[in-house]
Amino acid sequence: MQPFTYVRADSLDAALSEASQPGAAIMAGGTTMVDLMRGNLAAPSRLVDIGHLPGLSEIDTTGPVLRFGALARMADVAEDATLLRDYPALSESLRLAASQQLRNAATLGGNILQRTRCQYFRDGISNCNKRVPGSGCSALDGENREMGLLGTSDQCVATYPGDWGAALAAFDTSVELRSVGGSRTVPFAQFHLPYGDDPAHESVVQPGEIVTAITVQAMPAGRKSTYVKVRDRQSYAYAVVSATVALEMDGDTVTSARVSLGGVASKPWRAPEAEAVLTGRTLTEAVALEAGAAAFAAARPLHHNAFKIELGRRAVARAALLASKRT
Amino acid sequence: MDGSIGVPVVRRDGAAKTSGTALYAADFPHADTAYAALTTSTVTRGRIIRIDTTEAEAVPGVQMVLTHHSLNETLGEETFVMKGGHMQSSFMPLTSDEVHYAGQIVALVVADTQEAAEEASRKVSVDYAAQHASASIEDADRVEEPMDDKSIDVGDAEAAFDRAPVKVDATYLTPAQHHNPIELYGATAVWQDGKLLVNAPSQWVVGNQAGLAAIFGLPMDDIRVESPYLGGGFGAKATILPHTVLVAMAARRLGRPVKLVVPRETGFTVSSFRPATRSRVRLAAEQDGTIVAVMHDEAAQSAVIDHVAFPATGVTARMYASPNIRMRESTIATDVNTPGFQRAPAEAPGFFGFESAVDELAVALGMDPIELRIKNEPVCDPVKGLPWSSRSLVPCFRRGAELFGWNRRTPEVGSMTTPDGMLLGWGCASATYPSAMCPSSARVKLSADGTCVVSCAAHDLGTGAYTVLGQVAADVLGVPDELVRVHLGDSTLPSGPVAGGSVTTGSAGSAVHMAALAVRERLLKAAAGGGDPASFTLAGGHVIGPDSHGRPVAEVLASVTGGMIEETADWKPGSMSGDQMRMGLAGGMAFAGPTTETHASYSFGAQFAEVRVDPLLRTVRVSRMVGVFACGRIINPRTARSNLMGGMIWGASFALLEETKVDRPRARFANTDLAGYHFSTNADIGEVVVETVDEVDTVVNAIGAKAVGEIGIVGMPAAIANAIYHATGVRVRKTPILVEDLLG
Repeated sequence: MQPFTYVRADSLDAALSEASQPGAAIMAGGTTMVDLMRGNLAAPSRLVDIGHLPGLSEIDTTGPVLRFGALARMADVAEDATLLRDYPALSESLRLAASQQLRNAATLGGNILQRTRCQYFRDGISNCNKRVPGSGCSALDGENREMGLLGTSDQCVATYPGDWGAALAAFDTSVELRSVGGSRTVPFAQFHLPYGDDPAHESVVQPGEIVTAITVQAMPAGRKSTYVKVRDRQSYAYAVVSATVALEMDGDTVTSARVSLGGVASKPWRAPEAEAVLTGRTLTEAVALEAGAAAFAAARPLHHNAFKIELGRRAVARAALLASKRT
Repeated sequence: MDGSIGVPVVRRDGAAKTSGTALYAADFPHADTAYAALTTSTVTRGRIIRIDTTEAEAVPGVQMVLTHHSLNETLGEETFVMKGGHMQSSFMPLTSDEVHYAGQIVALVVADTQEAAEEASRKVSVDYAAQHASASIEDADRVEEPMDDKSIDVGDAEAAFDRAPVKVDATYLTPAQHHNPIELYGATAVWQDGKLLVNAPSQWVVGNQAGLAAIFGLPMDDIRVESPYLGGGFGAKATILPHTVLVAMAARRLGRPVKLVVPRETGFTVSSFRPATRSRVRLAAEQDGTIVAVMHDEAAQSAVIDHVAFPATGVTARMYASPNIRMRESTIATDVNTPGFQRAPAEAPGFFGFESAVDELAVALGMDPIELRIKNEPVCDPVKGLPWSSRSLVPCFRRGAELFGWNRRTPEVGSMTTPDGMLLGWGCASATYPSAMCPSSARVKLSADGTCVVSCAAHDLGTGAYTVLGQVAADVLGVPDELVRVHLGDSTLPSGPVAGGSVTTGSAGSAVHMAALAVRERLLKAAAGGGDPASFTLAGGHVIGPDSHGRPVAEVLASVTGGMIEETADWKPGSMSGDQMRMGLAGGMAFAGPTTETHASYSFGAQFAEVRVDPLLRTVRVSRMVGVFACGRIINPRTARSNLMGGMIWGASFALLEETKVDRPRARFANTDLAGYHFSTNADIGEVVVETVDEVDTVVNAIGAKAVGEIGIVGMPAAIANAIYHATGVRVRKTPILVEDLLG
């Protein structure tokens, strides 16, 4: 990696000031940023370490708005008793991610900003519009089992890799950002950018901005929620497909549904088509599968990943059936 | 404690490893070390038309950039290991402008710090004239080249197959795989007074010493290769990797020690890998299950720069009695770094197809797959008619079936489920591994302080050689375990065999046994004075005379000149010539067996798998594995079990996860890191039960120990595939078996 200046900020204001310098980048837990720098995918001249800042790691999961400080560690949040009971999907998405060692270090704010694991982006030599805009996309005709089929474009088919972000998409989530110029709150649905013609930009975060908190509107469906992660091995693997389902039910009838997908899309992917299928219906396996199929109606499969349409259909169905049994 | 043969002695090096005091190759400190980093090719085939090191050299701290322009030095005669040399490949990077595979070394940068070397390695600017390349055996322009000398023909298999009432004809694929030892590749080279010391992780210190001596035109005594511990090798660290030579050249030019640690992703192309294979297996049987024809056609990936093959059919031919056998081998040259040995190089891929086909035959016959195998158990080697030095496959199956609970299996597809609704599949497969032998020397020293020191340039891959070789000496000399010291992994020690082909215990162990016997003979002679040594025995640390009077060993040794007895022995397999032995001891590749003029020597095993398949998502988890093996005399049940278990776990990885994907348009490996290259985690492995059956083999070598190191992986992929078929009715004829293969 190229030489850089390491700055350890001791207050949020100091961090914001450092972050506003040209060439600055933020590091919190370091699990994403160090990886990117080692791979020469990020080359900041100034690395601002905010990992130890006070006041940004608190979480509150009891109020009408769940609040997660951006520096809260994945491992700690995954074990939060209220979250486990009232929003199992969110707990599960954290517990099924990465490895315990990484969850001990990684922060929630950094988590939602992790970049794609696309091997053509990571290898530093393939054509990649995300890494070198205009260079093309080797994944289109290459090994594309791990690629996405929703929200992709002819410029980029990479997936957003995170589990926590995929689950958050099913809820009314917002992200709080701060910079020297002030603060703003962005709805999670608008936080990540679909790829379109400009895959190099993945989120609305501007240079100098720091994620300070993630908030989720409390909702009763949280209790009947689950995160189903299908992966090639039992631990320490990104999702081949993941499905989050949160339900409100009246007896066997779904009165309100939230569905989101991971591992298959350019960003954390809400699936309103699936929600529409479920809402007002008596939940059976057939209805659950119908919802799953609806979630993938707009899929653009590639050579090696078309199976994810069928697998994703079943993952949504499994999640809906599991969620419905939660009390 | 008692440290003799058969005792489950705790690993001698365990405490040093777990406490972090064990020095691995990259841990040896050398004053004033400079650090190296590699620049590798971004194209697969072609020529370097321009290489500019100006920017790299401008990075502060950079001392040297070696390219094909600046290397400019004629190397001594050395070659590829399969051509009788010691190199991983025939092709030596930086000796020309040619590019033969993606990720080939095109520059080596040396700097005062690791960071500067890495940064500069990225600033080496290279322009290539690229040509079309193919890295997959499935590419349309690749052709199969038959290896006629590997053909086996017994009877008329084609005719018998045509006539037979029940048959299977199927093709099975295994992908390229990489070793990915946790200890990365690398080398540190130190020159002093014209002599070279290399600290590199090595499974063959004497072979590396011989090869480096040839390359640098030095006598072998001027080269020392030191590698006391390995963080996994699996075959990848046997040969000299080209970067070791480059590091040594850089160190000599700079007059400083130079250290290179190869990053994970670069390790995929600067070393070897397990080549992809395609096996067509045809089996035919009478209605009663008597096999009448066995045919196996294997085509395996090779490299354009090196013809290399690990033929499996010479091994699969040994499994079942059949009057008609027809085996064919071919290779498919691709534009890749030279493939090489990877744990059970021939057997692991070959047995996936072959033992899957046996299961398919059992299904076609409506016969229990164990019964089918037992029915066709050969009384002698089906190819040459030789007697087995020992073969206990049937006892392995009987004991394995008992441990696994096979009699509770219902054969119908999908007929077994778990209480939580998972589909349960039970499958089995046979395994074998040849018991070949290499010559070896060893030195054993018994001292008046009671210690016994064993020295041999053999290697402990992490599998227990430090412990096991000590036990062989302790067994002869009656020394308690805590007084045994073992030195391995250093080319200055008496010559030891390559840690390959599962030969270490049998070969180095036989040499240790021989040296220990020589020590005992001298000890008894000393005790006998002028009397008859044959009337003296050694027991419990005492020499017992004809009058039943015991004298402590220490007392006898105190009367010997120097207070100790030291003996060095050279052991060779019985069928090997003296010339072959001398060649082997001097660092050559000298193998005898597994078939000699009199016997065929193989270890055998029966392997069982239980899988749970999610009926909706179709994900597969291996909940249980059982392996029962017959490997001759087991020197240490603890380390043997661990070694076999490791193989089985790798076999589960092979079945469900491991694949180096090839990006075919760009002809290069795609998933070159551990995020993309998956192997089993702890969470993927359920219960693993390992046993060995008692077996006495008086033929194979001096201590009766057959191959343990590699057999554990051999049957597992097929056992798992067969279990998946039992659970789902889907016969997947390729690995890894992924969720998409079972979605239907």
